[in-house]
Amino acid sequence: MVQSNHTHAPRPVPSPYTGRQDIDLDVVREMLSHFTYNDHEEAQELILSACQEINEHFGWVSPEAAEIVAEHLGTTTTRVFAILTFYADFRTEPRGHHHMLLCHGMSCYVMGSNKLVQTMKDTYGVADGETTADDQMSVQVANFCLGVCDRSPVVKIDDEYHGHVTPESLTELVNRAIEGKHSMQENEATHG
Amino acid sequence: MVSVKPSEHLTKLNSKDDFLAFREQARQKWDSVWNGSATVVSVGVGSSSIAKGALEVLEQVHQVGGDVIVREVSGNGAFWMEPWVEVKRPGAQPIVYGPLTVDDVAGVIAGDRNDLAVGVRGDAPEGDIRPLNEHHFFQHQNMLLTRNAGVIEPDSIEDAIARGAYDGYFKVLFEISQEEAIHEVTASNVRGRGGGGFPAGIKWESGRKATNSPKFIVCNSHEGEPNVYKDRHLHECDPHRVLEGILIACIACGAERGYNYLGGEYPLGLRRFRKAVADAERLGLIGKDVLGTGKNVAIRVRTGGGAYICGEASALMYSIMGVRGQPRTKPPRSVEEGLWKRPTVANNTETLANVPDIIVRGGDWYASLGTEKSTGTKLMTMQGPSKLHGVVEVEMGVTMNHILNDIYGGMREGYTFKGMQTGGASAGPITENAFERPIDFDSLTDIHGMLGSGGWVLFDEGVCAVDMARYLTAFSRYESCSKCVPCRLGNPALVEILDRIRFGRGSLEDLALIRRTSKHIIELSLCGLGQVAPVPLVAFLDVYEEEFRQHIVDGHCKTGTCPIAARPHVGADLATAAAD
Ligand SMILES: Cc1cc2nc3c(=O)[nH]c(=O)nc-3n(C[C@H](O)[C@H](O)[C@H](O)COP(=O)(O)O)c2cc1C
Ligand code: SF4
Ligand code: FES
Repeated sequence: MVQSNHTHAPRPVPSPYTGRQDIDLDVVREMLSHFTYNDHEEAQELILSACQEINEHFGWVSPEAAEIVAEHLGTTTTRVFAILTFYADFRTEPRGHHHMLLCHGMSCYVMGSNKLVQTMKDTYGVADGETTADDQMSVQVANFCLGVCDRSPVVKIDDEYHGHVTPESLTELVNRAIEGKHSMQENEATHG
Repeated sequence: MVSVKPSEHLTKLNSKDDFLAFREQARQKWDSVWNGSATVVSVGVGSSSIAKGALEVLEQVHQVGGDVIVREVSGNGAFWMEPWVEVKRPGAQPIVYGPLTVDDVAGVIAGDRNDLAVGVRGDAPEGDIRPLNEHHFFQHQNMLLTRNAGVIEPDSIEDAIARGAYDGYFKVLFEISQEEAIHEVTASNVRGRGGGGFPAGIKWESGRKATNSPKFIVCNSHEGEPNVYKDRHLHECDPHRVLEGILIACIACGAERGYNYLGGEYPLGLRRFRKAVADAERLGLIGKDVLGTGKNVAIRVRTGGGAYICGEASALMYSIMGVRGQPRTKPPRSVEEGLWKRPTVANNTETLANVPDIIVRGGDWYASLGTEKSTGTKLMTMQGPSKLHGVVEVEMGVTMNHILNDIYGGMREGYTFKGMQTGGASAGPITENAFERPIDFDSLTDIHGMLGSGGWVLFDEGVCAVDMARYLTAFSRYESCSKCVPCRLGNPALVEILDRIRFGRGSLEDLALIRRTSKHIIELSLCGLGQVAPVPLVAFLDVYEEEFRQHIVDGHCKTGTCPIAARPHVGADLATAAAD
């Protein structure tokens, strides 16, 4: 018998984002219905969080979604777009079927993430914020630390982290992700 | 809004006595878990261990079952032993095993995998297994802020309260006045952990004295620097400590609302913090008429969107107000006119996390830790090719030699030391000749070094000084908010010069040009980002000038990093030709 000492919420589920997605505006409306406020100040404080949630769910925020945010929170679409184009996390175009977060924090830099950025350019023709021509893989070069520095350099493809990545293993990982295989965990375990 | 539900069994506490009774229950529950007849299995779940499969391990622990209590605790800062599982068998001390895989779980719980044991979480050995505290990674730490890391379930307010959470809050609510609370913080001389080192007590006092109302407290948990992850760690391992710090600040300064602003880079910490707020609200520690005192405190959690500049306090407040996060000129200072033009006291997460202990144990106790001018402990992180990695907590005043070699185990095999970058993208590298200096807020400034937020980046001979300087300058260029000209145009100019050098087309004049341009940016920029953006580059130039010259004069990058290396090594002719 397993007793649970848990009387609290279940374990966290990382990143809900999967795959290239069109934005279902009904889902956006449903999300926004949970954003309640008492006054205009509070409504303004919620603009960023609302964008954040849509962006996390769909991988991007469309003009139509921005309009719903603006309407719901009593502001203008222009203002919402000013935010979307300022903060690095937001995308105003859909991502690829797969998404890569390429860590370019300082540990990963020291351990060679530049080479990985270069590999993505040379082999797949994509730089930060871009998506491959076949819509398969989009890349975000992270200007912060993914928090797994002991495995630097690190990339996160969809929900999975990969450590000690080399230019060779990177292309293998990308190709495998595109082919829909997910057997990276073992690959990972062979490293220190 | 992603809603995190509070634990349903919690009910509202209406008075001082209610809280004391609840605390007593929580302590008893804690004791019964650890002294009961069931085996207690805890899995360290944090963002670093999740990346290595900790959730799968947790799942497996549930699968294996048996007469066990399963707990989801946080990481303990030691990345190198992740994923780990702690097993406490009846009558014995808890033993920690790691790093392990899903396949090891059953054996570990059954007790036949002592080969995987890292240590005992306790003072005495268990058979051949030594206490974890004897491991060099833990031995030299003084874990105050992180004492609950890997021990409590961050999602359990009862665990936190059993281990002392909200005792400081209780004290400011019932036992001491606002002035006395601020007096303790002032006496502790705790200085801002967000990088600047400004004494928190002075800021709080201005906040308390501000007459405009309402007033706000802002906890700066943005942590957008590429070299540090200590605030994320605090949120993941002990969210109630962070929350308590904010609540104490609210009471002490007379603020009716506290904000916690997170950058969005750490979803797990965000979720755990939201859970902490939901539970504290349900218990009545937040809300109207807290514990019958007549005091009202509200907490709001806000997230940013990956813009480093939003760590700057005025930009952060704009970001909360739902516009682009661009700093403004001061005065007025935030304590006069901050969020929504109201008096606002902003502190870093770690600064606030220090406060509960300062209130409970007294400012004088705190001031006895660390050095005279930099009191207390400091969370630190190590990046680059060190043997071990993770978050540690040490007293101020330790040396880099101690941090790198004694705690993190020195350089990894196969790498040769070249330098240690300090202060993220805001300061310069130090070399071995500074390794014996006691480290505090002020000790490295004369050599362009900086304690900053405590993120150290080790780099080896394989890293090119010109390329690394470019990386750091490019970071500031990318993160510039573009509001003012010197920073917006100056940083791209520096990157361009560096690229010239990297491509073998630099001239010696470029070195002077770097210094001149840097001076402009530093002196004329509006905010702290521009004012320090060129500092790493200038410092790299000071320390590794020879290497810059090799690129220019010899057309040679000795590490083979720069594009110049792809060209034939033709020496000085090329450099002069390119400069024409
Ligand atoms: C560009 C820039 C980025 C900053 N980033 C952070 C940050 O991520 N976290 C933080 O606490 N302070 C950051 N600061 C410092 C804040 O402006 C502010 O001084 C600090 O939050 C005050 O808290 P403290 O006194 O407790 O350190 C940053 C400052 C600048 C200029
Ligand atoms: S110095 Fe840079 S970051 Fe700061 S306000 Fe000016 S442009 Fe923005
Ligand atoms: S810098 Fe890449 S994981 Fe920390």
